Amino acid sequence: MSAQNLEIRRSSASVWGSLSGMRSVPVVSKYIDTTTCIGCKACEAACIEWNDLRRVATEQIGSYQTLPTLHAEYWNLIRFNERDFDGGLVWLMRKDQCMHCDEPGCLAACPAPGAIVQYSNGIVDVNPDQCIGCGYCETGCPFDVPRFHQTTGKMAKCTLCVDRVSVGLEPACIKACPTGCLQFGTKEDMLVLAHRRVDQLQANGFKTAALYDPQGVGGTGVVTVLAHGDHPDWYGLPADPHVPLLVKFWKSVLRPLGVVAIFGAVIGAFAHYTKFGPKKVKGASDSDTNLPDA
Amino acid sequence: MSTASPRHMDAAVVTARDREDVLVGNEIVRHNRASRLIHWAVAITFIECLLTGMPIWTPAFSWMAHLYGGLSVCRVIHPWIGLAFFLSSALMFFQWLSDMHFEPNEKGWLGPKLFQYMRYESDDSEVGKYNGGQKVLFWAVSLAALGLLLSGLLMWFPRSFPKLLMQFAYVIHDFTFICFAVAIVFHVYLGTAAEPGTFGSMTRGTVTRAWARLHHPRWYREVTGEKPAR
Repeated sequence: MSAQNLEIRRSSASVWGSLSGMRSVPVVSKYIDTTTCIGCKACEAACIEWNDLRRVATEQIGSYQTLPTLHAEYWNLIRFNERDFDGGLVWLMRKDQCMHCDEPGCLAACPAPGAIVQYSNGIVDVNPDQCIGCGYCETGCPFDVPRFHQTTGKMAKCTLCVDRVSVGLEPACIKACPTGCLQFGTKEDMLVLAHRRVDQLQANGFKTAALYDPQGVGGTGVVTVLAHGDHPDWYGLPADPHVPLLVKFWKSVLRPLGVVAIFGAVIGAFAHYTKFGPKKVKGASDSDTNLPDA
Repeated sequence: MSTASPRHMDAAVVTARDREDVLVGNEIVRHNRASRLIHWAVAITFIECLLTGMPIWTPAFSWMAHLYGGLSVCRVIHPWIGLAFFLSSALMFFQWLSDMHFEPNEKGWLGPKLFQYMRYESDDSEVGKYNGGQKVLFWAVSLAALGLLLSGLLMWFPRSFPKLLMQFAYVIHDFTFICFAVAIVFHVYLGTAAEPGTFGSMTRGTVTRAWARLHHPRWYREVTGEKPAR
């Protein structure tokens, strides 16, 4: 879903996007407070509604969770995690979706020009026109978000409702949330909100409460408040996500070296010819050096 | 000297249909028709793989995708052409395997001997049908074809394997292809511009006596029965 009125900061398999440098667009972010999420799944329903996704058959995994994992037709999933903690049970609900990384691993891995773009406001989006469905982005994503769509043969994921955001609306999931645990605004504002909430939680006895905005991927377009901030893995979040080192090596080291090597080989062959010329058959007076004329 | 040939047909070409390592007039049959067809199958599928794979590798070659109707077409057909490339490579491997065993004096071909050869300084009267460099290339491309197949199969079905394995597959596929492409640039150069008379062994199937005496002296003696010059 490409938003025509947003400039593009980064584009897959491209040297640059389309930033004119004339417009100042603030980076946007979702705010997710896992401590006030009641697991009502209104955001899941709103996501399906707004994005016209087909109904996916639910799958029972022994909890209230709709599906075991994200799906090409299910971009927003509340994960219901249970943990034994301090002699009791903690029930940790987290809204799982694309994190809209500042440094997106999917975009780095993508080989199709313009198939994954990062808009000037930070939203990372798949452009189905250009997507070739190779699945490289799955390998690049540290959050295991992009999904292959069997019918379309393209990748699909949360768009952060870029079509709504680009005309000044909040994303559908945010609009549907009844508790206010989901908020939307500039990243700056959402960080203020998150810090205030973390302070509040810590004052109320949740000493390990923390903000999840992993800097390994340059920060994310989703600011998450965790009561157990020392255990992001309890929520199904990686502790220190990065664009995989092998993906960086593959795209930023091996690829340019390879281009140089191949052009170098062609130039080397020409250079060899100019220095050494053809290897001539000696004794040209021999009759048999000429090609036979049958 | 050879079998009865139809009128207007060149005796050497007719002989090269099913025989090799034989002298016909002033020419020696170097590759019979089966060998040549297999080699051309490898060459053509390799070039098709390059043209469909390189635009996916880097946008510097995205213009190649237009030859096929776009990147998505390349993405669909590249694995299938890759399979054809591997199958022809496997055929070529078994077709030429018996001639490709290294001899003790060919050890230096991985290093100094190769550079001597490229400077036209090597003068080895014991070079048989294939020199050490050709044998190195044979084993290298056979291994590379296997590596490209295995990593390529993973890339064809990315959701069937762990992510870390997939990352290695992408790196291995690209690294192998880069080495392969560099080697093939020189292979084609040596077989055409650098060593005139060689290309005929892949078209007519024949080379001249003088060519054989220069490049493959021991093979020349074996085929013609001539005694060594010294």
